[in-house]
Amino acid sequence: MKFYKVCTLFCCFLFTTSLLIGCIGCGEDDDGDDQVEAYDAGTMLNDFANTVVLATYTDLDNKAGELLVAVKALAENTTQANLEKAQQAWVATRKPWEQSEAFLFGPVDTQGLDPALDSWPVDRVSLKAVLDSNDELTADFVKDGLEDTQKGFHTIEFLLFREGDQHKASDIADRELEYLVASTEYLKESTSQLRLAWSPEGENFSHTVASAGEGNAVYPSQSSAVQEMVNGMITIADEVANGKISDPYNEEDTTLVESQFSFNSISDFQDNIRGIQNVYMGKFTNDGQGLNEFVKGQDAALDSRFQSEIKNAIDTIGAIPDPFRDSITANRSAVQAAIDAVSTVHLSLEQDILPLVQESDFN
Amino acid sequence: MKNIIIGITLIFLVSVVGCKSESQSIIGIGKSFDSSSALSGGDTTIFDASSHAFSIPAPNLSTAALERHLEGDVEFEAVFVTAPSEVNPGLGPIYNNISCVNCHSRDGRGRPPNVDEKLVSLLFRLSLPNTENLESVKPPIPVPGYGTQLNNRAIYGTQAEGSVKIEYNEHPLTAEDGTRIHLRFPNYTITDTYKPLPDVVEVSPRVAPAVFGLGLLEAIPEKTILTFADEGDVDEDGISGKPNYVWDVVEKRYALGRFGWKANQPNLLQQVASAYHDDMGLTTSLFLLENSFGQPQYTQNSTTPEVSDEILDVVTFYVQTLAVPARRNVDDPQVMHGEQLFVQAQCASCHIPTLRTGLLRGVPSVSNQTIHPYTDMLLHDMGPDLADNRPDFHASGSEWRTPPLWGIGLVQTVNGHTNFLHDGRARNLMEAILWHGGEAEKSRDIILQMSKNERDALIAFLRSL
Repeated sequence: MKFYKVCTLFCCFLFTTSLLIGCIGCGEDDDGDDQVEAYDAGTMLNDFANTVVLATYTDLDNKAGELLVAVKALAENTTQANLEKAQQAWVATRKPWEQSEAFLFGPVDTQGLDPALDSWPVDRVSLKAVLDSNDELTADFVKDGLEDTQKGFHTIEFLLFREGDQHKASDIADRELEYLVASTEYLKESTSQLRLAWSPEGENFSHTVASAGEGNAVYPSQSSAVQEMVNGMITIADEVANGKISDPYNEEDTTLVESQFSFNSISDFQDNIRGIQNVYMGKFTNDGQGLNEFVKGQDAALDSRFQSEIKNAIDTIGAIPDPFRDSITANRSAVQAAIDAVSTVHLSLEQDILPLVQESDFN
Repeated sequence: MKNIIIGITLIFLVSVVGCKSESQSIIGIGKSFDSSSALSGGDTTIFDASSHAFSIPAPNLSTAALERHLEGDVEFEAVFVTAPSEVNPGLGPIYNNISCVNCHSRDGRGRPPNVDEKLVSLLFRLSLPNTENLESVKPPIPVPGYGTQLNNRAIYGTQAEGSVKIEYNEHPLTAEDGTRIHLRFPNYTITDTYKPLPDVVEVSPRVAPAVFGLGLLEAIPEKTILTFADEGDVDEDGISGKPNYVWDVVEKRYALGRFGWKANQPNLLQQVASAYHDDMGLTTSLFLLENSFGQPQYTQNSTTPEVSDEILDVVTFYVQTLAVPARRNVDDPQVMHGEQLFVQAQCASCHIPTLRTGLLRGVPSVSNQTIHPYTDMLLHDMGPDLADNRPDFHASGSEWRTPPLWGIGLVQTVNGHTNFLHDGRARNLMEAILWHGGEAEKSRDIILQMSKNERDALIAFLRSL
């Protein structure tokens, strides 16, 4: 953070002279002295859209389907074993969602799916009122009758875990089971909608990204779509370093902790960084062409440094003792190390990788 | 959405890497070109054509100012819930949405709902007709039991005020060259009312506008805006231009209206406080009474504001200091042709391209900037087809404030739609142009007489903004 602020002032100064310098640069270009061949980002954008984004959303949708099966089984037969299975299925569904936060743009935003899936805080006053009411709890009721703060991942998390991992199946009321099934059904509807929005069977937003360039109304240049990729990674790196980990750590306030009911915070943060890794390397289950190839072509040392910074950030977050909500006070040096490691990833994206993208001509 | 740094880095880039694609569009080739025309927000301009284009802090903020902006960013995204709660209590009990960003998605523009969608970023103002004295200038008269806005949502267990049914009827329009363009005329019916509405109620739809660049608009000197005013059309160009004067609740006097579709808010502090109050049911020191006061939904609220002055201030500062995205392709021949046509068709008479800001106290980053907002900040009669027939202070039922056009070419990238005008009835930029009536009818007719190439050039220009 500090570095940016210094940079802000520096850039203010540069900004005032930017056009002048720009003029000089272009004069040279016009004379044909310094032409750089344009990079065709077509394959990279196609692989980003399909091999990374659509694949992540497909996995999310499959896992949400498995969560629904597990929650229904729990409702049928409310044993401790079934509760644990449902809890595990929630954690498994959470994983691709957190990874997808490295590309939180497009339909997930324009179709209002992010708030429906991942609003925080949970409106616990209303949640209790709904449970105490006689309203029939169906997926449609959750969709149309309830606010975003009474549905989605964290509402389901609250019902499955309550406070931490000691929740007992025998303590779960019948109305809570009905609410669980209804809200998980709606979660599954939302993940299907999201997968379809990127899929060729649906609105095919994958194609919108992959076909960036002249004539594309959303991304009229490849450069704007590559910028979107990098901005997505920067946003989540910033969020993890300066929000998700720092806010509860600085305030020493557990109410600010993400996924606090399930004690799943550390996995959430790691999966956010894995999302960056997926976009950068162009992979999810399959391997595609990532941004790494482009970066390597420009600056091989930067590419290998950044790859190890990502790995280091994932490992350093993993070294924070569980649960995170206790570590913000009990293991402050481990938390600070994680903040530093993610900040390093953030800085490299902003100071080194984004400039490379900006400097380059794309087709 | 904390993309502080993106903008900063981009500026850095343009500075250092002058010859690459970004700056090619700034520097014309082979002819003298006003390079500053790309810098829509002066020194607050950022270079980003992704979905983050409206969400980046002004790059010329000081360290302390950036810190404050980021605090505002967090509050702008804060989701409110039913009280009591450890986090963000006080929502409602009646409201239109649960956070700022839920309507102003990515700090951008809302839209009417698609078929089978709920109302999210479009709301409806209500009032009773002023039958007592047609000449008197008044704020809208509240509808008993409803106030001045339909709150179509409520906390669980509380009745919302009602809902709205939206229908559209298509009407074709034929350009001189035979091209047929369909405009969709909306029809709004208030439904599911919790108590009967009077028959004569005035209803005005308002879509959430984008919130970047607003500090610059607040910093335009009042006397600059007034020089554009020509209420009696003394120059006989068919275009009048009228300032709105609205109630300033802090100063307790009438002041020039600047914000809102009818310029019914004098400044951003009051705009933000009104949004908390009217749209989310949250009290502030400016509006201490709940929006449900006097209605059955009302529950005793605390005497302390639900949103503190500190939060109100940082959110106000946040919308004052969001950067304006730079134009793209300003030296493209088609874009330049379109710009000439824009001026020839007299669009630029109201959508004024270049203005100079004055001093906005406490916000030096937006002060003394040359900007390209494409607005005169004044009210104009836009004809009966666009009229909401709901007067608002000096604004008549057919008058609207000229909305700024900067960033309009990025709405599709940021918000995934091209719905324009006060209720999003226009489905693309050309439809938006053709809705212009009243003072702008002459301009619209000129555009209808253009060739297809000319109309395409005009749109290419708008898409470069």
